[in-house]
Amino acid sequence: MAPADSTVNTEPTGLRRRRRRPLEQGILLLFAAAATVSILVTVGIVFTLANEGIDFFRADQVNVWTFLTGTAWVPVEDQWGVLPLLSASLVIAGIAALVAIPLGLGSAIYLSEYAPRGVRSTVKPVLELLAGMPTIVLGFFALDSITPALHALGIVPEKQLFNALAAGIVVGILITPLISSLSEDALRAVPQAMRDGAYGVGATRRVVSTRIVLPAALSGVMAAIVLGVSRAVGETMAVTLAAGTQPNLSIDPRDPMQTITAYIVQVSQGEATRGSLQYSSIFAVGILLFVVTLVINLVAVRIVRRFRTVYQ
Amino acid sequence: MATNAQPTPAALAEPRPLAKKRLRPADAIFHIAVLSAVLIALGVLVWLLVSITISGAGAIDWNFLTGKVSTNADRAGFGSAMRGSVVLMLITFSVAVPLGFAAAIYLEKFANVTREQLLGSAHLRRRKLNEMIAHGESGFGLRRQRLAVRAAFAWAKIGPRINRTVEVNISNLAAVPSIVYGLLGLALFISIAGLQKSLLAGGLTLALLVLPIIIIASREAVRAVPVSIEQGAMALGASRWQAVSRQVVPAAFPGMLTGTILAMSRAIGESAPLIVVGGIVFGTQMPSISPLEANETPLFAMPLQIFFWAQDPRASFQELAAGGIIVLLVVLVLMNLVAIILRNKFQRRW
Repeated sequence: MAPADSTVNTEPTGLRRRRRRPLEQGILLLFAAAATVSILVTVGIVFTLANEGIDFFRADQVNVWTFLTGTAWVPVEDQWGVLPLLSASLVIAGIAALVAIPLGLGSAIYLSEYAPRGVRSTVKPVLELLAGMPTIVLGFFALDSITPALHALGIVPEKQLFNALAAGIVVGILITPLISSLSEDALRAVPQAMRDGAYGVGATRRVVSTRIVLPAALSGVMAAIVLGVSRAVGETMAVTLAAGTQPNLSIDPRDPMQTITAYIVQVSQGEATRGSLQYSSIFAVGILLFVVTLVINLVAVRIVRRFRTVYQ
Repeated sequence: MATNAQPTPAALAEPRPLAKKRLRPADAIFHIAVLSAVLIALGVLVWLLVSITISGAGAIDWNFLTGKVSTNADRAGFGSAMRGSVVLMLITFSVAVPLGFAAAIYLEKFANVTREQLLGSAHLRRRKLNEMIAHGESGFGLRRQRLAVRAAFAWAKIGPRINRTVEVNISNLAAVPSIVYGLLGLALFISIAGLQKSLLAGGLTLALLVLPIIIIASREAVRAVPVSIEQGAMALGASRWQAVSRQVVPAAFPGMLTGTILAMSRAIGESAPLIVVGGIVFGTQMPSISPLEANETPLFAMPLQIFFWAQDPRASFQELAAGGIIVLLVVLVLMNLVAIILRNKFQRRW
């Protein structure tokens, strides 16, 4: 720390001292308060989840261990093992990733490397329209179109109206534009000189895309995928409508399943009064959901930091 | 395929024509693959729009657009849901926008300083304090200055870190699943604050949900205004606040508004947090449009009504759900159009 020198005053004198403006400082204080609201929201989420969720774990019927490792979720019989809900969330997110990674990454490569400018500038906003689609719409679409299509193709037996496959496909459709738009940004950030160099030694467009641009943008692309998966885990309405409300520890995508989010919706629709175990159970599974998505998001941040290469 | 044959002088003199680019199957396949990824994504969008239009167009008539909730599919209308959504959006807008704009301006223009800048101003203050001591000043002024010096150094130490935390925190908040906001709203507004399961509680919950989105978008709009604008104003004697409030904010305003409209279009289609906060109500009354009665009005909203209908397997209710979706999508497209027009009309290149 540089010592302040009081004897030598190099500051030019004669400038009029700026007038203090109390009103401005008051407004600034208000603005700063607004900025801290975001912190308060985070604190509020953590506090309320913990506060209401703790009632659940205090009850005689449950403890943390049976909650995390139990394989049956039957609230009316006091069986509170969360694995069926968690596995359903992960299975559906997995299906969604299988749908969205090829579609999203393919679209990103096409838009960034192949598409003429005119095509790009029209296709991009249209894809963003898909990204802004309310999830309830996609849930209805799954029930109304995708499940009947799966029935017709014979993939899902006719009697299964609710199934994880339709839910996973529709969530995949939902996160495709997210993955494509974030990946495209990463691909376009790769400097043109690297492409030109590769073209100069005779590489084809495919080789440039897959061996030069994609590896160079890998951190951004991976972060996009991870964020998409996080979005899929937290997705609610589409999975509630399409996958049903029956807890089921299964990895068969043709089965109906209830995800964490669908369970919260189911309880909220009914009349679970405050103080009941059902009421506090939605906060307990909410904690789990919050932690899972937070970990996934932090992984995305870590990926970007760790693998980022900065090009001038 | 390196050849070590010596080129003949004739070949050197007369350059061979460049080899014609051979179309390799792998390249063609890759091109087709990435192109079909886009086409599939677009195709799904078209499929979705067409199938919903076919299922729902028959449901839309005047009675549907103005009618109340009913168990009779022939008489059931979407009117109360539409009115509920209007009230919800008014509440969300009037809470989230002032908070979001203020936070964005503060974070981008006032909190966004480096440690060196803060240390510099702290040293300046200390120099002034030493001058005051040298002049033999004492009493309240001196004590105040001493306190200010101490605060300035402390802030230089922790300020940048706090600001970084706030920044990371906002981007994390934007990635929290919307249903978690519902749980927050249920605990905060219903259990702790004691509100009814009402439009008011729903609107406040949605306000918390869109706040990070509005902050992020508005910060970007403020950042896009070049610093020279602000510096010019300050060179003419404006204070920092005057420069920001009269030059930077007006220039950034269209961008901030565009971001806000997009955030509101997210809020209007959001159903999960509303279900958690308010449950699914079945009320045959029209929701009151007055904000003063928002705490007594049960939670009606377009996506909730669609969800309610979509859960009913009877074909007539499926048709109603599709009709509701058409109305919702038309509203969304209009909001997006307004955002695009605003952006094109007021966008300035600096």
